[in-house]
Amino acid sequence: MRIAAVIAALAALAVLPQLISPYYVTLVLPAFAYGIALLGFNLLFGYTGLLSFGHALFVAVGAYSAAVLTAKLGVKSLEAIMLVSALAAVLVAIPVGLLSVRYVRIFFGILTLAFGMLFHSFLFKFYNLTGGDTGLRVLRPSLFGFAFPNLDKTSFLVGPFYYYCLGLLAVMGLVMWRVVGSPFGLQLTAIRENRRKAEYLGVRARLFCMIAFAISAFYCAIGGVILAVNTGQADPDLAYWTHSGELVFMTVLGGFAHFFGPLVGAFAYVFLKSQLMSVTEYWRFVMGAILVVIVVVLPRGLIGIAHDAWAKVKRS
Amino acid sequence: MSAFFDILLGGVFHAAVLFLVAAGLQLIFGVQKIVNLACGSFYALGAYFGVSAVAFAVSVGAPAYLFLPILLVAGLALGVIGPPIEALLRTVYRRDEAFQLLLTFALVLMFQDILRFFFGANPQQLGDMVMLYGTLSAGTVLVPTYNALVIVASIAIAFGLGAFLKRTRFGRILRATAENREMSQAVGVNVGRVYATVFTLGTVLGTVGGALVVPTAAASLDMPVELVVEAFAVVVIGGLGSMRGALIGALIVGMMRALAIRYYAELEMLAIYVVVIAVLIARPAGLFGRPVE
Amino acid sequence: MGQGETLVTALVETVDVAKAYGDFVALDGLSLSVSEGELVSIVGPNGAGKTTLVNVLTGLLRPTRGIVRFKGDDIAGIGPVRLAERGMARAFQLVHIFPALTVAETIGVAVVSQSGKGLRLFRSVRRDAHVMQRVRGVAAIFGLEGKLDTQARLLSQGEKKLLDIASAFALAPDVILLDEPTSGVSSADKHGIMRTLIEAAHRAGVKAIILVEHDMDLVAEYSSRIVALQAGKVLADRPPAAFFSDPALIAAVVGKMPVKAAKAA
Repeated sequence: MRIAAVIAALAALAVLPQLISPYYVTLVLPAFAYGIALLGFNLLFGYTGLLSFGHALFVAVGAYSAAVLTAKLGVKSLEAIMLVSALAAVLVAIPVGLLSVRYVRIFFGILTLAFGMLFHSFLFKFYNLTGGDTGLRVLRPSLFGFAFPNLDKTSFLVGPFYYYCLGLLAVMGLVMWRVVGSPFGLQLTAIRENRRKAEYLGVRARLFCMIAFAISAFYCAIGGVILAVNTGQADPDLAYWTHSGELVFMTVLGGFAHFFGPLVGAFAYVFLKSQLMSVTEYWRFVMGAILVVIVVVLPRGLIGIAHDAWAKVKRS
Repeated sequence: MSAFFDILLGGVFHAAVLFLVAAGLQLIFGVQKIVNLACGSFYALGAYFGVSAVAFAVSVGAPAYLFLPILLVAGLALGVIGPPIEALLRTVYRRDEAFQLLLTFALVLMFQDILRFFFGANPQQLGDMVMLYGTLSAGTVLVPTYNALVIVASIAIAFGLGAFLKRTRFGRILRATAENREMSQAVGVNVGRVYATVFTLGTVLGTVGGALVVPTAAASLDMPVELVVEAFAVVVIGGLGSMRGALIGALIVGMMRALAIRYYAELEMLAIYVVVIAVLIARPAGLFGRPVE
Repeated sequence: MGQGETLVTALVETVDVAKAYGDFVALDGLSLSVSEGELVSIVGPNGAGKTTLVNVLTGLLRPTRGIVRFKGDDIAGIGPVRLAERGMARAFQLVHIFPALTVAETIGVAVVSQSGKGLRLFRSVRRDAHVMQRVRGVAAIFGLEGKLDTQARLLSQGEKKLLDIASAFALAPDVILLDEPTSGVSSADKHGIMRTLIEAAHRAGVKAIILVEHDMDLVAEYSSRIVALQAGKVLADRPPAAFFSDPALIAAVVGKMPVKAAKAA
């Protein structure tokens, strides 16, 4: 039943550009980006139990790598860009992770927040390298070697790039599905539930947390690349701690205890935010209020609500 | 030589204000185990409200020497927001820390727009109020009187806080509840009231800090999110939950900031984070914190 | 014994082990050994050093003096993960579970880590027939096969205890250390639990059991040897018959003659 739902969703997303206006289609692209990023983030949060308030750092690494590669080094292949960006993120994740996974719970959150802001201030201050406040431009990459020179920006984005990202999301989703169903994934959940007991059962907690951290960085960077290509821009705000907070918000909105929660959360958040922004200038207040409601009343997120509703339907 | 004193003064002044916010953070964490991401929002609220209070005072012709007390009172008055917010946080006490953190993050989001709504998008400041207080001189060193007064006020508050925690009955109850909530409850302590009081106290420390700083810095919408970062650097260096850590950490961060601003502006926050990381490598719990699992 | 003769090699042994915390001496020159086929009970009043000894035996604490060996290798301070890898498991007095994981998943964690499959990232656990078979096998020994898909937090207290111990057994350890496994269990059930444990140990291929117990009836019934501690030293190290026929010893350790041993004496 689940497979059918996933296929249906993918099919719906595939035909979406034919059904709605380009404006809305360009909204789906950030949803794809965050969907991929959150798949990685939730491996660390939902499955391993480590809440990072600094993961926007890796999204920014992805975006800035894309900028440097396209605008400064003339690399056009999106495949190469994604690979390099993701590896760069993993490289950064290693020292950050080594220092951070010693800690659990709140200390982990604070430390990762600090690292995220360290990177942000680096991006901000070293403007010769990073463009400082204004950031860096990201040029249009080629998809599997195809440059689509005759398409303007929007047509490129809502056309070939859209389907590329949809395919990417499906592939990366499948990979993550295998990871969480693997022995490694099982042991991550054991670490989350009771780290000490997990160690007594032979689980190498620190190593596994590091690996989960690195994988999450990988996924976030890819998300960052998509965001950067979409906006044509990489700027320091991507690394700010409130952006990390948004990642957590999206994950919890969708439901962090479920594999598809973060994906649902990414789409819901992106659409909610854009709708609110067009209706009121006080959209942050509304988003904050929604987060309050989720945390206090609906902690299992949208997927949790759907499950409860389904259970009620089955009973009646 | 005067450059040295300028830096020293600037650093200590900044430390004095940071200490207030950090102390508020430590208090709330120490007793309720909640890390309050909205500490910066309270700080900004204090700053904006302070500006309004003094502007009002000016408009009714109050004399300049009353401005500092007015700022203090403005900060204290904002304590009224403490109980309702604590009541909201109470709904997630028993839950995972992630939810508590997220709830305070929600507050940050909401406060961003609350501040914007009441005070507008433009930064607000008190112009040359600092000048009105004049300067003190000790030999060749000139110290703005206002800054000196704030440092003194902060030290007084630090001592007051210490005395309160160590010598008064409520202070002892507070420390006992921090150590062991169940035990306190078992001996009849009204933990709910303790939590509400502690949270309000922590909030007030933040709002007073913001109110006191506002003659020297503008109240802006960036304040809430920027201050959190510095405040967290302080508590990480000093050790989460430790008052002494808040003091020493604030001094370290304040001095580093003053040095960086003077000599190498690009490195301002970077330098602070290098120290944070160095402290964490050497002493994972911070300088005065309790060791972590 | 000469050089050329075969000795019974100890599986676990400590040689003149001491542990001091500043001025306080928790263990003071303690030597004991556990060999294959034995069930050694460690007894003694609170403060005698049982917990410290157990922590040294399981590689959690580094002794300040002396050697602690497992299967011939020095294991001082190696920590829980390496201990499990080498083949010793430990079950605690307080029940530790993975609240949200099912019985199958809990046992599966141990099976997976022990089988060296821990770092597999892309193969499904559920579809690994070998793993699932072992999980079902271990669950069956402890009577939990009907609850494989139940979350641990929904089990009864007794079942949680069984699961805790079952997961330790799933490591297929050579030696298992049980820390008051029947605490919190009603007297009527204690013997049943002990028998289940011993049978499980046989089935799982466990070679030796170390038991920390206060209940002298159980100790009398099931031990092959009893080690009594007092003030960080070994007071006595004897088989049950020799142990319980010494009233002074009993008085020092417990103060009350257990029923069965009194009948036997």
